[in-house]
Amino acid sequence: MDNKSSLLSRRTFLRGTGIALALPWLETFAVGNPRQDETPKRFVSVYHPDGVGLPLKSDPAWKDWSWFPRGGEQDFELTKVLDVLEPLRSDITIYSGLSHPDARNVHGHSNADQYLTAAPIGGEGPYQNTISLDQVYAEYAGDFTRHSSLVMSTNGGIGGPRGAQTQSFNREGRPIPAMNKPKEIFDLLFVTSGKDAAGKLARSKSALDLLIENTRSLNRQLSSRDQETLKQYLDAVRDTELKLVKAQRWVDNPIPQVDTSNLHLEADPKEARLYFQTMYELIYLAFLSDSTRVATFQLGRENGEGPHDLLSLAVGLNGAHGLTHEVKNPGGWENLGTYNRYQAEEFGRFAQRLKETPEPTGAGNMLDNTLAMHGSASSSFHLSRNYPIISAGGKNLGFTNGRYLKFGKGNEDNQAGAGIDTDAGWQGKLEVEELPLAKLFVTILQRLGVETDSFGGQTGSLSRV
Amino acid sequence: MKRLQTTILLFLWSVCTIPAAPCEDTPISLDAAKDQGRNTSRFRKETAEVATATDAAPKANLTYFQESVGPILNKSCLPCHGPEKSEGRLRIDQLNPDLLTGPDVERWSEVYNALSKSEMPPEDAPDYALADADRGRIVDWLSEELNQASLVRRNSKEHSSFRRLTKYEYNYALQDLLGLPYALANKLPPETASEDGFKNSSELLQMSVMQFETYRELGLKALKRATVSGERPQAVAYVISMPEEMSKAKSTKDDTAADEGKKNKRKPRNEQQLFHRETGESIPFPGGKTMPRADAVVGQTPAVSQVVLVLPRSHELKLDLDRFLPDEGIMRVRLRAGRSTMNPDEYASLRLIFSAHTSNNANFSQTVSERDIPVTASADDPQWIHFDIPLSDIQRNPFRKLETTFPRRDEFLHIHNVSNSHGGEDPLQVLIDHIEISAPFYEQWPPKTHTDIFFESGSRSDEQVYGREVLSRFLKRVWRRPVTAPDVDQFMDLFARYRPGFATFEDAMVEVLATALATPEFLYLTQRATADETQPSSRISEFEFASRLSMFLWSSIPDDDLLKLAEQGKLREPDVLTAQVNRMLEDPRSRRFSQNFVEQWLGLDRMSSVTHVNDNSLRESMLEEPVAFFEEVLKNNRSVLDFIHSDYALVNERLAAHYQIPNVYGPHFRNVPITPQTNRGGLLTSAAIMTMNSDGTDSHPLKRGVWMLRRILDDPPPPPPPNVPEVDLTDPRILQMTLKERIADHRDNAACVSCHSRIDPWGIAFENYDALGVYRTHIKNQPVDATSELFNRQTLEGIDGLKRYLLTDRQDQFARAMVHKLTAYALGRPLSFGDRADVDSLTAQFRRRDDGLGDLIHLIVSSSVFNSK
Repeated sequence: MDNKSSLLSRRTFLRGTGIALALPWLETFAVGNPRQDETPKRFVSVYHPDGVGLPLKSDPAWKDWSWFPRGGEQDFELTKVLDVLEPLRSDITIYSGLSHPDARNVHGHSNADQYLTAAPIGGEGPYQNTISLDQVYAEYAGDFTRHSSLVMSTNGGIGGPRGAQTQSFNREGRPIPAMNKPKEIFDLLFVTSGKDAAGKLARSKSALDLLIENTRSLNRQLSSRDQETLKQYLDAVRDTELKLVKAQRWVDNPIPQVDTSNLHLEADPKEARLYFQTMYELIYLAFLSDSTRVATFQLGRENGEGPHDLLSLAVGLNGAHGLTHEVKNPGGWENLGTYNRYQAEEFGRFAQRLKETPEPTGAGNMLDNTLAMHGSASSSFHLSRNYPIISAGGKNLGFTNGRYLKFGKGNEDNQAGAGIDTDAGWQGKLEVEELPLAKLFVTILQRLGVETDSFGGQTGSLSRV
Repeated sequence: MKRLQTTILLFLWSVCTIPAAPCEDTPISLDAAKDQGRNTSRFRKETAEVATATDAAPKANLTYFQESVGPILNKSCLPCHGPEKSEGRLRIDQLNPDLLTGPDVERWSEVYNALSKSEMPPEDAPDYALADADRGRIVDWLSEELNQASLVRRNSKEHSSFRRLTKYEYNYALQDLLGLPYALANKLPPETASEDGFKNSSELLQMSVMQFETYRELGLKALKRATVSGERPQAVAYVISMPEEMSKAKSTKDDTAADEGKKNKRKPRNEQQLFHRETGESIPFPGGKTMPRADAVVGQTPAVSQVVLVLPRSHELKLDLDRFLPDEGIMRVRLRAGRSTMNPDEYASLRLIFSAHTSNNANFSQTVSERDIPVTASADDPQWIHFDIPLSDIQRNPFRKLETTFPRRDEFLHIHNVSNSHGGEDPLQVLIDHIEISAPFYEQWPPKTHTDIFFESGSRSDEQVYGREVLSRFLKRVWRRPVTAPDVDQFMDLFARYRPGFATFEDAMVEVLATALATPEFLYLTQRATADETQPSSRISEFEFASRLSMFLWSSIPDDDLLKLAEQGKLREPDVLTAQVNRMLEDPRSRRFSQNFVEQWLGLDRMSSVTHVNDNSLRESMLEEPVAFFEEVLKNNRSVLDFIHSDYALVNERLAAHYQIPNVYGPHFRNVPITPQTNRGGLLTSAAIMTMNSDGTDSHPLKRGVWMLRRILDDPPPPPPPNVPEVDLTDPRILQMTLKERIADHRDNAACVSCHSRIDPWGIAFENYDALGVYRTHIKNQPVDATSELFNRQTLEGIDGLKRYLLTDRQDQFARAMVHKLTAYALGRPLSFGDRADVDSLTAQFRRRDDGLGDLIHLIVSSSVFNSK
């Protein structure tokens, strides 16, 4: 029944393109909704696989090429890996000692799936994921923009179980396909609108009319108490109608015009710099035009192979994944550090651009109203602990930056699991205390306005953030 | 005061069971306890006439209160529940004695419970002790007045049975309606359980926008799976014929001396291999790559071959199907298999597993067959076995359509032998000579699911006429009632709007039918005001009765037989109803009733959060036992007292091993006689109950006590008060204590004692069962102390003492609890005070029929409460 047009196939179509249109079918689970005229609160998460360099203190490379800063909360000193972020020092926060408890003994290659979900996906057997952080926020804020979220990755699609190529998972735990072609992303955001959406909306409207009529006739034959129960149903139908009206508005509204001078829409991951900058620029333009307030971007997949492995060409290095295996080769730590440095540099460029753009509503700059996360679910070689995480911005949301926040106990110098290059590392016993990353997610959701006190089975937020 | 005599008997018996009383030296057997409890049952007394509604308006018996009851209350209760002290915030002097019209009926009901169970006055307050005769007076007066009050309130019930279908009912309804055997409702959110544990409880079944949208989506999706268009699609077919595989393997192999040596005319034991049953020739065969064959013919019966695949216990044939399976449709796996040996104590069965390994550490595997299929035939006369797997419902390899070869695109099918083969010289193995895999598989074209909706008709060419025919038939099943012309008009109007947007009649009609699946009359169980003047207005219609009946026993919509009888107005004729209920209970769909009721009644959901059962087959067996036990009692109309204790157990091989019951073989559950030394019998000590009421490493008396009270006695303890201090496990004094001492210590805390003295003793009686429900006599080298004392000084000597006490002293309470739980489930709403008289009446009839579970079902469906709004 391929040619059947329907709400369902349209949704499927939209999912297939990696953009979830802000249409009725996404339930707002959270209590309350942001007001439309408020300054937008935005969230973006960038994920990179393979972790970072974490040499032992005794290693001569430690001083320059260990990813984590040295020093304390305020007086931290960035190594060569992150010194590109020095100009943004007062706008960023660096975290250590955070990880998802259920993943701490799972091989790092399986990790991209659960970075934003905290689901206990394990390393083998049946597979079930849960909703990701960005999608929880999209359920809340998605109605106020044309697209509820923008899901991107260098490899595109969904990847495989325990080999995700998307960071976003819906309420059922199903992966949302990521877009990876700049041209397609641009067209979806700024060129095409749901062309045949109008006809389908009209049909949906007729169906709802019938249901309301049918409910009314049943209602007349019920006791007043049972009418109360049926009212819930009628309310649900009416609310769906309202959502249709809203959807109609997006179909009718003109598509925003944006400045395309920084876009290189034909860029390929092999042209890493251009590609990277274009993808970030697309997020920037989507935010600027308030086309969406939620975005995720995954730099490829764990375990090498595929386009992302070529991103390291930008800094003259081969195969990004291989860099993590070759840290014990001459210059190994420096090579991996150089690649991580490059990732930080591009992230910094994006943050800087947000910072330089005044918020259209006049409330500070765009970075102040955006929380941008950058991180990985591995630190050292295949080790699913002590995630290296940076956040930028969010001043107006309540984030105090310019800090290096160490959580947990017993690993102040990030030496647990440092310097490993065999699988004995990730299988080893957890000797130090780390805090659940989901607690940071709770903090983020709360600051974005979602009334919740738990995420991924963890209750409570992180103090000090 | 007709119940006086009963009550006195009851209390005389209680006196005997107090340990200090020298009634008997050795405790009576549990069977004798059953008889004893039955003989003293209040409900079984002929004199205990069950009050029914009369036309005369009942009046409160205030005279008797003032003359007899009031003075006793003042003497024994007022000191603690009066102006001086008001323990439990109860002022007995301020309760309005008019239960019929007064506001205090709920409080009086609590007073009744406390007094009839001898919880009050407290044992340690001898000054206020209540003489048995006095207690009897109050209890009898209250019982009478409460009953009258309940009748008065019958028509102003707090809760209605008008509700939407639960997630699982919706799923079954769609399955039965469309003939689709798949899980169709996974996307709906789970239901919340009521106080009673039930998920079909009207007051909790809410509707939200999300829920509504999901119904629309699921309905359309299900309809699209049921219908087809165009020509029959070409199936992808793989054929693995063992003789061919043997010649292939031989041709690619050098005939070396080593191989010659293997031709020993005896198949090597426990090796997976291709084997010639006559020549003894053998070649190892783990599986491998297999490709679809364009010329393959499936579904035929080739001659039985002497060359077979030998699949020993726990081995599997792993087939690499590459990337050619279609995205959707049924994958039929058909194979011919037999057993190498026929020892009846051994079994072998086949399971399908589907997997992919897309890159290093990015893999998955899952069991895709719904159940293991036993291989019962001998290898000399093998049997055909088939599995049907819906390809769109299982985890697939998302990379299967890549142009490039990495990540890997292949998908694997594993055929796994699950067996208890005892090994030895001639082990039981599964021998397979022929395997076919084809997809999409259709029994016929168009499939029956399609022709059930779009049936043959002379008016097919006229869309207006045929559309009405299709809609009339469909709507009748969906709404479970006759359909009128205006009903159909509404949907034909919608069809007219839709038609231009679709290529075919069927495409447009499927969308219209999907709208019908989102109507409230499909999603809700209605109870309309009746137009029939001859029927009492509180009675539900014949069609509504059919739906209520099928929701109760099938968790789904009524079938054509039920609807037909409803249409003829015959369904509620006693003989017809009895026959229909029997038919429904014999139908496989009644399994849903046993499954859902038992799961919810006993709260087996809690097993899903248990993390200390690592053996999956043990976990599954644990979960199945209570359901199998319930089915055994139901099908044989056994007494529900068997749930407390029975001289048989329902076990399979895995669970029997867990319980140390010998000589039980095979995965199916069966009734096995047991002795007292087995320390089993009934449901209370079943492994699932003990396991889910543990803390993961040891027993948990508190959880077990609460579970007993809530689930078995329908006497839930109040929730813990706020600000309860946590037990301080860093306190060295507490750390040294045994669990029982810790509980006692906590109980000594004044804030905790009043509740815990009512809970803990029940749980401590289970101490002989560990965190997995295994019977033990020692804990850390100390003998188990499972002796506890109830609030009323009744001593419970371990599980036998507990069972004995329940059977002698609490039999009526348990029987009434069973009636209460089943009735609440049958009605899909919480029971309230207005139902009290009905539940009592049902309990009395039930007890007089010797507590048969089957009888109870019949009693409930013919009761007035089941027939009322």
